[in-house]
Amino acid sequence: MKNRHGNRTKTLGQRIWEHRILYVFLLPCVVSLLVFSYYPMYGATLAFKKYNYALGIMGSPWVGLTHFITFTTSPEFWSVIRNTITISGLKILMCFPAPILLALLLNEVWNSKFKRAIQTMSYLPNFVSWVVVVSLLTVVFSPYGGIVNNIRKAFDLPSVFYLGERDYFYPLVVLSDIWKGVGWGSIIYLSALSGISPELYESAVLDGAGRIKCIWYITLPGIKMTIGIMFIYAVGGLLNAGFDQILLLQQPANMLISEILDTYTLKTGLNYGKFEYATAIGLFKSAFSFLLIVITNNMAKRFFEVGIW
Amino acid sequence: MKFTTRAQKIFQVFNTVFLSLFGFITLFPFWYVLVASFNVGSDFTRGGVYFWPRMFTLENYERAFRDPRIFASLGVSVSRTLLGVLLGLVFTALIAYAVSVETLPGRMGFTFFFYFTTIFGGGMIPYYILLRDLGLTKSFWLYVIPSVYSFFNFLLMRTYFQTIPAELRESAEIDGAGHVRVLFQIYAPLSAPIIATLALFIGVGHWNDWFTGAYYQSRTALFPAATLLQKLLRESSPSSMREGQETVLETMRTFTPQSLQMAFVMILTMPIVIVYPFLQKYYVKGVMIGAVKG
Repeated sequence: MKNRHGNRTKTLGQRIWEHRILYVFLLPCVVSLLVFSYYPMYGATLAFKKYNYALGIMGSPWVGLTHFITFTTSPEFWSVIRNTITISGLKILMCFPAPILLALLLNEVWNSKFKRAIQTMSYLPNFVSWVVVVSLLTVVFSPYGGIVNNIRKAFDLPSVFYLGERDYFYPLVVLSDIWKGVGWGSIIYLSALSGISPELYESAVLDGAGRIKCIWYITLPGIKMTIGIMFIYAVGGLLNAGFDQILLLQQPANMLISEILDTYTLKTGLNYGKFEYATAIGLFKSAFSFLLIVITNNMAKRFFEVGIW
Repeated sequence: MKFTTRAQKIFQVFNTVFLSLFGFITLFPFWYVLVASFNVGSDFTRGGVYFWPRMFTLENYERAFRDPRIFASLGVSVSRTLLGVLLGLVFTALIAYAVSVETLPGRMGFTFFFYFTTIFGGGMIPYYILLRDLGLTKSFWLYVIPSVYSFFNFLLMRTYFQTIPAELRESAEIDGAGHVRVLFQIYAPLSAPIIATLALFIGVGHWNDWFTGAYYQSRTALFPAATLLQKLLRESSPSSMREGQETVLETMRTFTPQSLQMAFVMILTMPIVIVYPFLQKYYVKGVMIGAVKG
């Protein structure tokens, strides 16, 4: 059978049959995703039901929006939302620009051995678990033999119990996040920087531009696209706020300011066994995250002329 | 381009000092805990040990390896990491290859099917109920089966496969080679950099995952090392340490729970420290490809 151009001689069915082995290649992952990603999406209907263990998710009776109303009118609602957005906001404000700054500084280094050494070191924290990072923090900031408190002691200052005090929670979250992610985050900015043609700088210098002007008019516009894409991801993940990290740094003393949507879902669901209620909170988060990604993607398309789809 | 004015030279000096300081701050916590792990525990809590052990000992490591819980957890971590890397690489290669064949009907549909799971999910609780209903919460397979696939890894491998000229595949097909042979005998040998990168990413992901064990695993005997470390950290968390610390000092034991933990932290960190610098040139490239095409 020939189509209009005469160059396709096979029907769709034939082409599918020809590629049958490739569908076999795809099969394991498709099944895995159907079971472990798509089925839980269906399972999220639990948010609108009253869970009955014997009947399962499918057979449990519907209760409409009850759980959503309970959640949005509960006293925890605003505090959890506020904490989530505060932590994410602080991270976007401080942890987002950090790798850009590091990349700019590394880009100015002319000794390539020194540059490489610093880069290699900076990747290490990215590869260790948050459990390890929090263990390191515990030792470094320990009131018993920790180096920070030892230095304080040398200046006759009283010991501070950093990980247990509420006021140090946000600073610790931001600083540990920068410490863990800044080196890894700088990789893509460095690659974007290496793509900028050196001739641009040479002609700018001939025109009398200094370093600051070069950075402002050549370097930053050169990595604008990359910053845009990374910004979409950062804002799209606004409601995540760094689940692992927060969960590990949570202490009774900082619970009022450290409880975020994910940790709250986990606690109500797995610790207190309120499955339907926790599912509703999770679904609330998923829906808003999805919306955020769509919105930021559209904004990025408008302002940076880039998008992730 | 080099600037040679005085201000530029001052900037160079400042930059070098700043970046050196940054490198120091990045590495020092690891070094500090390494020192702590080789120091007598009760001596370390007195303070003043920073750059070198004051009272050297191997006791912390001996105790760590003799602790049956730690030993078993390391076994779980090693098994899941090896198995996870192997399965992850094979399954990722299969789908990346399939989708990189441009004549495959429905390839965009499959890509979207994979992509959608990264922007929307059912949440933790339905996922947990599913794992429980499948009996995975009581099994070692909890760590391996649900996580054979990751969209990011798929994207990296697909992008790499797309750089391999399609003519190579087509000519092999003319010679009578099927897709299985093309993938394993032509693509795989050409893909060493991306395979190394993904092996590192998947391996590190498995080695570091504490969450799955802590919240989805009901058998404590099946905790991986990272989960066990988190549990130990909780037991000796700052709030409980406040009361506990004095008694530890009073009994004048040489060994403290903290020093055992430090040895454990180092046991978890060392494999990573040893492996990651060697694969640097590969994964740096991998991240760039992912960022550009992602």
